Amino acid sequence: MTTRINPHRLVQASPADLKHPSNNIKRIVLSTAQIAVEAHPAKWLRTPSKPKSRVLVIAHSDRGALDDHALQTIAAAAILADAETAVLALILGELNDDLSSAAADEVMILPALDFQIFQPDIELASVLAIIELLKPKHIFLPDNLIGDGDLGRRLAALKKLSVATHVLEIDVQHVASAQSGGCVLAQSNLPEVILLAPNAVDAELPFTAKATRIDAPTINHAASPYQAHYQDMGLQTSAAEDIALEDADFIVSAGNGVQNLATLASLASSLNAAVGASRVVVDDGKFPRDKQIGATGKTVTASTYMAIGISGAVQHLQGIKDCRHVIAINKDASAPIVKRANLSVIGDAEAVMQALMIEIEKAKEVVA
Amino acid sequence: MKDSVKHIAVLVSAGRHPVSGEPRHCHNDSLALALGLNLASKVQVLHAGTPSNPALQDYFALGATQIDVVPNSDDIIESLAAQLTDANLILTGTRAESGEDSGLLPYLLAAKLNVPIVADALEIKANREQLEVLQFLPKGRRRRVLVSLPAVVAVHPSAAEALHFVHARKNLGNINTLHASNTKMQTIIDDSKQADSKQWRAKPARKPIKLIAQTAQTGHERLMAAISNKAKGGTVVNEGNNVEKAQVILRYLREHQLIEF
Ligand SMILES: Cc1cc2nc3c(=O)[nH]c(=O)nc-3n(C[C@H](O)[C@H](O)[C@H](O)COP(=O)(O)OP(=O)(O)OC[C@H]3O[C@@H](n4cnc5c(N)ncnc54)[C@H](O)[C@@H]3O)c2cc1C
Ligand SMILES: Nc1ncnc2c1ncn2[C@@H]1O[C@H](COP(=O)(O)O)[C@@H](O)[C@H]1O
Repeated sequence: MTTRINPHRLVQASPADLKHPSNNIKRIVLSTAQIAVEAHPAKWLRTPSKPKSRVLVIAHSDRGALDDHALQTIAAAAILADAETAVLALILGELNDDLSSAAADEVMILPALDFQIFQPDIELASVLAIIELLKPKHIFLPDNLIGDGDLGRRLAALKKLSVATHVLEIDVQHVASAQSGGCVLAQSNLPEVILLAPNAVDAELPFTAKATRIDAPTINHAASPYQAHYQDMGLQTSAAEDIALEDADFIVSAGNGVQNLATLASLASSLNAAVGASRVVVDDGKFPRDKQIGATGKTVTASTYMAIGISGAVQHLQGIKDCRHVIAINKDASAPIVKRANLSVIGDAEAVMQALMIEIEKAKEVVA
Repeated sequence: MKDSVKHIAVLVSAGRHPVSGEPRHCHNDSLALALGLNLASKVQVLHAGTPSNPALQDYFALGATQIDVVPNSDDIIESLAAQLTDANLILTGTRAESGEDSGLLPYLLAAKLNVPIVADALEIKANREQLEVLQFLPKGRRRRVLVSLPAVVAVHPSAAEALHFVHARKNLGNINTLHASNTKMQTIIDDSKQADSKQWRAKPARKPIKLIAQTAQTGHERLMAAISNKAKGGTVVNEGNNVEKAQVILRYLREHQLIEF
């Protein structure tokens, strides 16, 4: 006997209904909360249980975290790895983050190899020891200037490995990078060492991985013959106002909602941050054009971007797409910037800035 | 101290104008030349390629008086290295504008000559056996590094060296064609595996394709993903007085180690 479905019944569409194979009625219900959960399906786990081979990703951390470029590099390795290949992330420097959503199957951390210290040969010796042990098929590094681009080139040159640098395009079969001053996009098969340019890969993944911590092997530093040739005399950070906006690590940015620009300037200096502005503020003549951030202004890559009284128009957001931590102060909780920001404080810009400066002074006194 | 480094060699490649494609000097390499001329009144300028390349003339305008050209060969690392066995300091740019532009040449050369290399140099000071290099790091950071000589130093494009381009000098220089030396050099690395230059297939430039993970979603899931607002949004703090709100910001900055106090 066939079951008939009463067309007049009350329907309660739940995700289970929609998925159930015996339910042949497919309907799209956009407004229920339950369906909204369906929009972000649970991610599947990629980690192979018995990996036959490995690929190695090497990246320096900065203050215990990996930047987007490093995460993209791990993602590239994870996307390209087949079901029997494990992705090992070798992190040079401290790491506080879990790398399971970055899809690293295994994580090895060498906290002593912080990017701030110039010790290329010790790094090289450590990496060589790990390569010797694990025999990875490919080695991925972000082609950056905090030591990974340098390390990858040293490795390839010393061991005569096949290598591609500034890689703009990658898939299972090939890599491509710009050559001859940009008039050629040259392609090659996947080489042993792959140095990825930023934004060649989407780090958003539909899967996660186990991110199992594994211990580093003991490393023989005698194998770094050149280290004695180098001596690190220390790092210096320029005052924020001397740094170009594109190069700044912390930006406090003024929008149309800032009544008192002097308050914003002193907040910026107490945070040793560079000052930027939205177009409206620049158009008003309150800042020179070179302070404008956005589609028709500058694209910035600061780790921290404080958007004060900025609505977050698309043209503005374009200029801050690579900023890691966006903090918004806005009186309007429905401003688009709130969707982009990692932290939004709803309130009056002037009042919050004043309070923040007092808290900063207090915090500095405790430390001093 | 000027002239404290004995034999400085500057490696220059042929550049091209980014728009017109006209041959010209490579900006990066010109900075290396300028830094070299700061350290010594006379430097050796070396190019591997065609002696008649018009791009080379630009380096005369920028202060070179003679350019030694090693003719093109299968292995330019080999032919350059053969000329550089007694150089104390080898200055290069970070990335060429012709050929593979991989930024690998300085590293390959250093490995071949068995000398240390420091990249991304902004400033160089010399004192007898050692060189003090100010190194570029992103986000306004700089690092001072001492390196013993002989060494290879690759100059960063934002080195604040003023280039003095004097057109009148353009035809005054002398191109000196060298002969590729046949003697293979002794190196610690085995040469059995050639760094493979035939690895690349040139294709006209186009927009690169971004690698995106394939999501095995149902049609329904794809639709929902497309119409639902992807932007996650972070923490929103509505409650509390201004002091509390300020404290939330401070706590966030500290938690993520974005400030040092
Ligand atoms: C072709 C084109 C290119 C553009 N290029 C750029 C660009 O490069 N860069 C750019 O920035 N814009 C650009 N724009 C302009 C952009 O569309 C927006 O108009 C601009 O970014 C808005 O600036 P704003 O957020 O400072 O001002 P508004 O949109 O006026 O927003 C002010 C915000 O401050 C808040 N606010 C008001 N008072 C207070 C208060 N007392 N306390 C706290 N918050 C308060 C409000 O809630 C609001 O969210 C471009 C536009 C076009 C058409
Ligand atoms: N043909 C060449 N002759 C001399 N020097 C070169 C040549 N090609 C590259 N170089 C040097 O090596 C640097 C890096 O080049 P590349 O590795 O090709 O990107 C350049 O900035 C030059 O200083």
